Amino acid sequence: MKPQGSQLDPALGSDPFTQGDGTLPFLIRLREHTIRVVDESGQPRSRSAPSKVSSGPPDLGPPIPEVPSFDEADEPSGWMDRLAGVLLEREDEERLAVLADNLNARPYDVLGLSPRVTRRALSVFKLLYRYYFRVESSGHQVIPEKGGAILAANHGGLLPFDASMAIVDLFLKANPPRLLRTVVDRWAGSLPFVNVFYARVGQIIGSHDNFRELLQDDQLVLVFPEGMPATRKRAAERYVLQHFRLGFIEESMRNRVPIVPVALVGPDDQAPILYDIGALARILRLPVFPITPTFPWLGPLGLLPYPVKYEIRYGEPFRFYEEYPAESAEDPHAVRYLAEQVRRRIQEMVDQRVLARRSQGT
Amino acid sequence: MRSVLVTHLDSTVGRRLAKTLYHDPEVSLVFGTGMGPRPSFLDAYREKCAYQRLDLAKARHLTSFFRSERFARAQVDAVIHLPFVSEHRGERIPGNVASLVSETRRLLEECKKHRSIERFVYLSSAFVYRPEPGNVNVFSEDQLLGFETEGDTLVRAWIDADLICQGELNDPHLKMTILRAATIVTEGGEFLQSPPLSRGGPPIGFNPMLSVIADRDIGRALVLALHADCPGIYNIAGREVFPCTELLQNNYRFGPLPVPRLLSTAISLMDRGLGRSQPRQSGLLRYGVVLNTRRAADLLGFEPQYRIEVSGRGSDLRVETVRCR
Repeated sequence: MKPQGSQLDPALGSDPFTQGDGTLPFLIRLREHTIRVVDESGQPRSRSAPSKVSSGPPDLGPPIPEVPSFDEADEPSGWMDRLAGVLLEREDEERLAVLADNLNARPYDVLGLSPRVTRRALSVFKLLYRYYFRVESSGHQVIPEKGGAILAANHGGLLPFDASMAIVDLFLKANPPRLLRTVVDRWAGSLPFVNVFYARVGQIIGSHDNFRELLQDDQLVLVFPEGMPATRKRAAERYVLQHFRLGFIEESMRNRVPIVPVALVGPDDQAPILYDIGALARILRLPVFPITPTFPWLGPLGLLPYPVKYEIRYGEPFRFYEEYPAESAEDPHAVRYLAEQVRRRIQEMVDQRVLARRSQGT
Repeated sequence: MRSVLVTHLDSTVGRRLAKTLYHDPEVSLVFGTGMGPRPSFLDAYREKCAYQRLDLAKARHLTSFFRSERFARAQVDAVIHLPFVSEHRGERIPGNVASLVSETRRLLEECKKHRSIERFVYLSSAFVYRPEPGNVNVFSEDQLLGFETEGDTLVRAWIDADLICQGELNDPHLKMTILRAATIVTEGGEFLQSPPLSRGGPPIGFNPMLSVIADRDIGRALVLALHADCPGIYNIAGREVFPCTELLQNNYRFGPLPVPRLLSTAISLMDRGLGRSQPRQSGLLRYGVVLNTRRAADLLGFEPQYRIEVSGRGSDLRVETVRCR
């Protein structure tokens, strides 16, 4: 029979382990005694700490002014925030407010996205979007207004401006605005500063768990199924899509989200690679060591993209999960077949735009 | 009704746990042990709480305690083990850290000998996981642990103890529950069980995200694990996540400089040649630990009731735990 509630006797016997006085255990007196706390009626008062008896509220003088809570306190505003305020228009701020609402007013989401840093970044990249890359886009109506979706795009260029332009495009033109989360290569996670910036603007390292986390959170996820080989493409292979990886098809089937094909025209022209010194790249643990018309001749500046015109086209979504059972995600042949369908569609969309540009002489 | 043995009850987390258990109608007795003298906060809970000063790392003390009349009278049927949150131990002293692993093993052995003990809840740390640049950002319970031979001593001890407890997950008589807790924030704004925050910050160019949890929520989670009939491993964390540098209290400016791997390997080889050895920079300082707590929410019913609010920086840093409305 175990001791029960108020009948409990906490004196469980002598304490043979008292240290410091060297007394033998059997000589030690009981140190703990039962203290029964009783109320005014004599009944035991259980499960509450002893409290002082008071006779009305004491006179403590005027109340102390309330200290503003964290919510009310003004956030310190740095020069970058002020600059962002200048660069962003009222409509942009309203769109940002919609995005921030999705974070439930938390300063960071679990993957490190910060609305504040995103606001700063969007203000700068919007300038690039409008005046440097002069982005034209169409097909935003296929972007789901809510819920998760995978945007699969072709990839090109040494620096990932294609992803940033797609993010700005959906921020400015999708209705309602949606923040695109990009899956980046694992290598980027080990780069100082870059890894922090990517995390704060909502980009994630490419692992299935991260991918799943975003889709289950009803986010739009941009993937480049060609992976890192796309950045190693030489000038002669521009706009020829590489072999597709399959993870995005598997996650689409498992999480029942559509895949929106996206054609990006322009990135492959922004820094044409003449030659890739693979051996040097391996020694330096870099994905690519390119020779371009400007790199390494101009130093790091030679890596900057040329001011090419970007075009972004969103195609009709694939809803494989409606046509195939979820188990297909575990069948490598089926997944490969579906990935090939997506690759072909994107290649067609890219080819159309490239031909149109050539015919226009741009 | 449960009679619960709580190790290291004299720690901050132990204090919170004692209060939660005291108010739990399903618990008849809280029998605490600790390295220090009987803590004064227990005076408020004398009806239900007993205390025993005890060094669990000493095998003879532990065996004698389990065979004592006092222990027999308590009729303990559940154990909550809080191994690494005691303020009486220097967390960074390797000898003590190693002894904490052995105390976990010995405690488990004693518990298995006493068939009356049915439950064992162990408070582990989230930092047992292996953060890597290519690894996940949000850790679920199935992720790999960081078995780095040259890693941090404390983290290695956590992993060892965690593995010892994992070994008992399939024991039919002793239901084992392991709770892997994020960085613990006390009511006074102190951080417990957080190597990235106690090591002076991340290297330049890195700012890992960390999950945090209020110490009162830890107490609740432990009690939920005690009562739930769902042995297993659970991540527990609050809703908030913060970058490491926002939680540093030492006027963080710049951490160590990260150097390219070729150079770092050369430096390391040179150091070894000169007979010097430096602790390897753990991925914990670069990639952080954010926890996926869905399993704890679904099976234990754990939802954090306190949120962590942070304001200011460096010496002006203010960290508070605020009850959710």
